[in-house]
Amino acid sequence: MDSITFLPVEKFILAVLTAAAVGSFSFEVYRRLAIVLKGTGSLPFDRFPERLLRVFREVILHEKVIRERPWPGIMHALVFWGFLVFGVITLDHFFIGFYKPLLSESAHKAYSYVVIPFSILVIFGILSLSYRRFITQPKALGKLSPTSGLVAFFIVTLMATYLLGEMDISQYLWKVNWWIHSIVILAFLFLIPRSKHLHLVLGPFNIFFKPFDQPDHTAVHIDLEGDEDELDEMLNDLTKLTQNQALDIFSCVECGRCTDVCPANRGGGILDPKNHFILDLREPLLQDKDVAVLDKINVEAGWECTTCQACTEVCPVGNHVEKSDEIRRLEVLVEGRVPQEYQKLFTNLQETGNTEGASGSALADSLPVFTSDKEYVLWLGCFARHGLDPDFNRSVENFTKILDTAGVSYGVLEQEHCSGDPVNRLGDKLTYTMLREHNMEQLAETKKVVTLCPHCAVNLGKEYEKYDKVNYTVEHHTQVVGRLIEEGKIKVQMGDNGKVTYHDPCNLSRILDIVDEPRTAIQSATSEFQEMKESGRETLCCGAGGALWWKKETQGRTHLVRAEQVIESEVDTVVTGCNFCYGMMKQGLGPMTPEGREEVVVKDVADIVAENLI
Amino acid sequence: MKIAVLVKQVPGPESALPINDHGTWVDEESVTFVMNPPDNFALEEALLIKEGKGDGEVVVVSMGPDRVQKVIREGLAKGADRGIHIEEVGPIEKDPLHIAKRFTAVLKDENFDLVLTGLQSDDTGMGQTGVLIGEMLGISTATLAVETDIKDGHIRLKRELESGWFQWVEFPLPASISIQSGLNTPRYPSLKGIMGAKKKEIKTVSCTELDISSNCQSVDKVFVPQTSKHSEVIDGEVDAAVERIVEILKSEIKVI
Repeated sequence: MDSITFLPVEKFILAVLTAAAVGSFSFEVYRRLAIVLKGTGSLPFDRFPERLLRVFREVILHEKVIRERPWPGIMHALVFWGFLVFGVITLDHFFIGFYKPLLSESAHKAYSYVVIPFSILVIFGILSLSYRRFITQPKALGKLSPTSGLVAFFIVTLMATYLLGEMDISQYLWKVNWWIHSIVILAFLFLIPRSKHLHLVLGPFNIFFKPFDQPDHTAVHIDLEGDEDELDEMLNDLTKLTQNQALDIFSCVECGRCTDVCPANRGGGILDPKNHFILDLREPLLQDKDVAVLDKINVEAGWECTTCQACTEVCPVGNHVEKSDEIRRLEVLVEGRVPQEYQKLFTNLQETGNTEGASGSALADSLPVFTSDKEYVLWLGCFARHGLDPDFNRSVENFTKILDTAGVSYGVLEQEHCSGDPVNRLGDKLTYTMLREHNMEQLAETKKVVTLCPHCAVNLGKEYEKYDKVNYTVEHHTQVVGRLIEEGKIKVQMGDNGKVTYHDPCNLSRILDIVDEPRTAIQSATSEFQEMKESGRETLCCGAGGALWWKKETQGRTHLVRAEQVIESEVDTVVTGCNFCYGMMKQGLGPMTPEGREEVVVKDVADIVAENLI
Repeated sequence: MKIAVLVKQVPGPESALPINDHGTWVDEESVTFVMNPPDNFALEEALLIKEGKGDGEVVVVSMGPDRVQKVIREGLAKGADRGIHIEEVGPIEKDPLHIAKRFTAVLKDENFDLVLTGLQSDDTGMGQTGVLIGEMLGISTATLAVETDIKDGHIRLKRELESGWFQWVEFPLPASISIQSGLNTPRYPSLKGIMGAKKKEIKTVSCTELDISSNCQSVDKVFVPQTSKHSEVIDGEVDAAVERIVEILKSEIKVI
């Protein structure tokens, strides 16, 4: 196309339009970044190679986008890969207008063998996505977005004009076509920062900065003896987003995957993580030009969250979606608005150090007391200690039987208090401070802790570490059991439990990343193991997390959805690795098992292993 | 609007309740104490009335040993303005008339517009203190309020009667009202409230300063209801079994 020339007036118009589009784009992006940088904390650059690798897998390979929704995921990948392939073409396109082609004619020709097939794939991809959005209309996408329609039209226009430009057409037509292509690209620059399509700029950065740990709520340091101004400042900061959280809000692509997987939402509750935790904060951020917006989260929705982290796990643009911690601590510490059943729970914990307000524990009394010559502190947790499901005593006994068989020494702490999980998750960071400080004293000389409760494991380890240096290691009992089997310290035979499945507890799989060890243990005791549809890090919460175990009046049936799935999976036994899941599962399975069918047996990993010890 | 809320500290609903060595009361050493739950509703109502009016004073008044300062502090943390602690030394008083006299001696000079109490205390469950105080102070008195409305020196109350019946009553202030549980949603102390409570005043009045005549009621004995069941399986030869049964009927149950 060497013979194509652009008049100076054309170049002038092009320059003005480009400057306007780039200027507007830069201004809008800058406006948002300025708000992001007002956030507390800082954007992390630690573990740099790991972060880059994550960007490669989740952005370039589109792993997460495809895994969660394969068909739309692949269609999106086609559009995205096309976008990458078109980078050079777009550059070349504007070079032609301003100066002369960037690519030589032969290079252009050669590259077109790649770009032409891709442009067709992009058209196919974007039309599929449009079909889904405008014809199928999945609920998760929310109300119809005209901008998405416009974007789809733009993309198709870009592809069509590109293809037309590659054909043998008259110079006049070519130039008209060139201008259309240019104007659409520039219009894109206007549109992107003002819409969810900003994710194509911010998404990769957001995935880079995503915290490795989830949940990643900031620690709340409370010093009641301290200076009042410092306390005021601390309370004031509770309404502020961190830089990372603020970046999340602008990166959201509004796909609704978070709401799709939310157990509260699936159980008929009002919580809609996409809107309540992310989009509801976007306008306040832009309007206030400030990050103190956490009080805009719907409180009622915040109380429904099971803190299971499914929303955060699934987000394709790397958002830490869950913000129940943030809204709950505002409610508790600043407003003093706490549902009555939780007030009772808090009082119990303050007065007695346990969730039930109990004055003793028969189970703890029946177990050996920890002394320094023993290897493990066996941390019981309130669920086991105070019989929240009395049958779970048997699971604790089964675990001690395994330890005894393997010759591993252990003992319980006489002064064990609640690890603080319920108050930590419910936002009562003051009671959490009390419990944590008490337990840290009790564990001062300890080297190894093992517990059957994943909630305790998370708090004694990861959560306490946010406040203090922790000198002991914390293991979940399924890790110890799995290791004892692998090391041959205990021998297990195949038992008869019928078809067996495993329900991954959220705290174990998503928060502690313990997925394989329980399976090693279970599969040593059964040959009829089958996975549930949602398993591993994609598990569905039993409904008890986020201290909802103690919430008596709940809307919806969050606590029944998972039990229902277990019944539908037609297994005979469901094994789990968490006392709360154990109790919740039994409560759900009982009333929901259809007449004439045998109730699915609930077991802990320790049960199925101990019952089949040789 | 000056409101007194009488708050009692009682053993928590989940607490163990061992009887003391003399069999006179629970062994306080092994009891966890909380704010009497019905009083919590009275406190909330007082705070709501004050907030509704936009000004006024809520005073938490409690009687008991030093430990009751904790519930007074809790009231202050929730938003009450000051506290009065009627300090008891020795065993706590259980006679409502006597208790009411002590409170009255402290309340009479304060000229409260409203004295609120919980429906009853969860330890002795007498439900009389508020009424007796009202009488002794010579002010209007009502029990079991489920709704309050204050206008121009008058209070209008919805009272709960029996069998699902309610009654509206209206009378002039000052008044002593006992509050039915569940009429509001008690708040939780905020962190700022807890910090602020440290600076609020708690006035201590010793019981010995209150010249009160001797009480009319006293507790003789506190005991756990005996519900034990005893069963013995008698097996072996019929003759031996019959012999054993006769022996039991004669010497143990003493019916023959």
